[in-house]
Amino acid sequence: MSTDEIVQRVSLIVGAGQVGAPTGRAADAVKILSKPGDAAELAEVVRACETDRIALAPLGAARTLSQIRSLPVALGVSLGRLARVVAYEPKDLTITVEAGLSVGELNRALAPARQRLPVDPCDPDATTVGALIAASHAGPLRLSEGTTRDLLIGIRYVGHQGHSVHGGGRVVKNVAGYDLMKVLGGSFGTLGIITEATFKVRPLPEQYAMTRLSFDRAEKLFAAARELHDSLPLAHLEGLSSAAAYACGSPARFLLVAGISGSSSEVASLRDATARAAPGAVFVERGDALHAYARLRDFDASAWALTAQIAVAPAQLSSILAATDAQYLAHMGCGVATLFLPEPPADGRITIDGWRQAARRAGGYLRILHAHRSFRGSVEFFDMPNDGALKLMRRLKAAFDPAGVFNPGCFVGGI
Amino acid sequence: MSHNAQATGLDPTLVAELAAIAGSDGIVSRSAELKVYECDGWTIEKCSPDLLVMPRTTEQVSAVLKALWRREVAFVPRGAGTGLSGGALPVNAPVMICTSKMNRILSIDLANRRVEVQSGVVNLHVTNAVKRDRFLYAPDPSSQQACTIGGNIAENSGGPHTLKYGVTTNHVLGVTLVLADGEIVELGGPAEERCGYDLLGAVVGAEGTAGIVTRAVLKIIREPEGHRTLLATFADVEAATHAVSAIMASGIVPSAIEMMDQLIIRAVEDAFHVGLPAEAGAVLIIELDGLVAGLDEHAARVTEIACHNGASGVRLARDETERAGLWKARKRAFGAVGRLAPNYATQDGVVPRTRLPDILRTIQVISRKYGLAIGNVFHAGDGNIHPIVLYDERKPEEVRKAIAAGREILIACVEMGGSLTGEHGIGVEKQGEMPLLFSPEDLIAMSELRHVFDPLERSNPNKVIPRPGSCVEVAAPHRQVPI
Repeated sequence: MSTDEIVQRVSLIVGAGQVGAPTGRAADAVKILSKPGDAAELAEVVRACETDRIALAPLGAARTLSQIRSLPVALGVSLGRLARVVAYEPKDLTITVEAGLSVGELNRALAPARQRLPVDPCDPDATTVGALIAASHAGPLRLSEGTTRDLLIGIRYVGHQGHSVHGGGRVVKNVAGYDLMKVLGGSFGTLGIITEATFKVRPLPEQYAMTRLSFDRAEKLFAAARELHDSLPLAHLEGLSSAAAYACGSPARFLLVAGISGSSSEVASLRDATARAAPGAVFVERGDALHAYARLRDFDASAWALTAQIAVAPAQLSSILAATDAQYLAHMGCGVATLFLPEPPADGRITIDGWRQAARRAGGYLRILHAHRSFRGSVEFFDMPNDGALKLMRRLKAAFDPAGVFNPGCFVGGI
Repeated sequence: MSHNAQATGLDPTLVAELAAIAGSDGIVSRSAELKVYECDGWTIEKCSPDLLVMPRTTEQVSAVLKALWRREVAFVPRGAGTGLSGGALPVNAPVMICTSKMNRILSIDLANRRVEVQSGVVNLHVTNAVKRDRFLYAPDPSSQQACTIGGNIAENSGGPHTLKYGVTTNHVLGVTLVLADGEIVELGGPAEERCGYDLLGAVVGAEGTAGIVTRAVLKIIREPEGHRTLLATFADVEAATHAVSAIMASGIVPSAIEMMDQLIIRAVEDAFHVGLPAEAGAVLIIELDGLVAGLDEHAARVTEIACHNGASGVRLARDETERAGLWKARKRAFGAVGRLAPNYATQDGVVPRTRLPDILRTIQVISRKYGLAIGNVFHAGDGNIHPIVLYDERKPEEVRKAIAAGREILIACVEMGGSLTGEHGIGVEKQGEMPLLFSPEDLIAMSELRHVFDPLERSNPNKVIPRPGSCVEVAAPHRQVPI
């Protein structure tokens, strides 16, 4: 089907004004952009795509999509018109929102009750709730608060045949039925398009402060990180190599950033304990700490030529970081790090294979977050699961997307 | 003789093959001995398996399932049998596979905060194994002295401290899963991120319908620096539930808030003499943990909130002995109820926390309507209620009423925006109620997900999702009580 024909077809459903050519980064991700007004229109779009075998993908993850696809998908679906807070009861500490709402907006809705969704992806105002879930974004707070996986308690999505499916619910504890939240989470739009989500939320801590420690050698950074992680309940603990440290406003070769939060007496106690455990620690407090934290959280690794996320058993992270020539921003307590190279490597595939093997040896895996256009088409973005797991994943894709239209070909093993 | 034996019988060559795999002490085939396995904690419905197999390794489980697969025989996995919704009832599954001999802790990796266990390891044994190094395994179901990690994974179990620390799915990083055809699949691993779809997340809480989990990688956490455990006394459950909401809205996240009503308080006190206020209408056990520096301040704040919401007294456990006494009272409450009636059925509904007063009033109305006493001991901080319906199984009319009362309570939970189960699963008990919560499209999607793992429904068949037509078609054959 030609681009014009698709535009015509989809215009009949969502209205001519809601279909058109994408601009900016979206243009890398999709050929045509559509904006359904509600879930019912989206369902019709999905049915039409299945009938005419048009590949479609949610655009909330456009940033991610444009970075991992070598070719744009035919039809992008923006959920920008599905951006309401559906239900929020502060005393229940749960919130239900539409998937097009940004994480920043979500947190602003929670702020009057001094609550937050502590997932903290990079640039929360540019990250929609749908993208947060589908691309499985997480920030520094994963050390103390977990990830989207831990906080998502209900989901609604439009699946094949345009069915609106929901799993979970609006209560913090619920094991009725199978956990569709887990399956849709991190699925990169390949199983359906998320339209609504319910999260557990948390109270905002009374106070937050940041500790910075500079080092001339990576080994010292790793030793200090181990000491702090072993002795204190930290909000976050990040290890940064020079380029990441510079981007976060600190000219250090290696920088360790630890967050402490809680009531004023807890923060005072943690401050003393941190000073004892890490002599030379520099403290940043109140507004300055929040500002510094935002710079750390919003460090945008996609500006670099090659960016990857590595995830291993936590104690193995230091040896991997020590052995690489890459720059990094590492969640030291979690075994998860972002590796990046400022310039395209001579052979991207060799570089990635090296990183991937190191991750596997440490019991983990590697996922490419961004690759320069020049070699995007030649690299595997996702690590390959073992054969047994991959077989189940293919079955899952076939069951949830029998027509093969949801963001095809971009996930593990070409799913 | 059990229903299954009557219906199917088992090929003697199959029994011999399974005995060769699991060893002669890994097989139970005498009907008298199989009676032990005729139900789990959901005692209203019973049926014995034709054969019990107790493998010791993943490879043995695989070999057993391959033998069953070739002969098209379905099976039911079982841990310790502490489940409360009949998930381990062998409905149309002649062979039961029990993980009780797979009870080894395989490795402890403190540097990575991971413990690797066989799935038959008892929950509490994980914490006991790392306690000396000041770590713990956070999910702590009331049955943690008996229930297994495999059972916890099947049910996505919770417990009092999951209010702060999350349920089983938040603490399992990887599993070895044996599919119904005997294939061994590794899902997840020691890393916190997963590769591809989160199939591990789908297996946790699948109630044994995805296959048999034989090994798990668990996250352990640092023991908190300190605790403050409070006992708050109220004239009635309504005041206590308002206090719960007020505490949760205050910005303090206790590690646990548990409630017991009058009936339970008396039963516990009569049984264990732990010093609960016997005349109170309700008590809350509130536990705070974390840095010692903030605990007294938070305890004072919680005390103030409780008093402001009608608490007649708030007592702080003075030492570890008193704290242990309060938890003993809470965790043994179900056992104490056994003194009040010949039988009881424990329900497991959830409501939004703010609807706790409404659901407790509704439970009182239902109790009066059916003339059955109903006690309440539950995870108030999560809105996860556990009404305990007392009855006498020798009186068929009471059994019918107990089932009907339970159903009405669950319907009310759903109507209030809640769920049918918070931590004990659907099993056979609640299949019929699933359409109250989920549309046909939702149930079809869930069914498709189950079929990814087990397309022919050989692993724990006839569970969780009701069959098209009627739940009665599914449930009727195995019911041995007049309903």
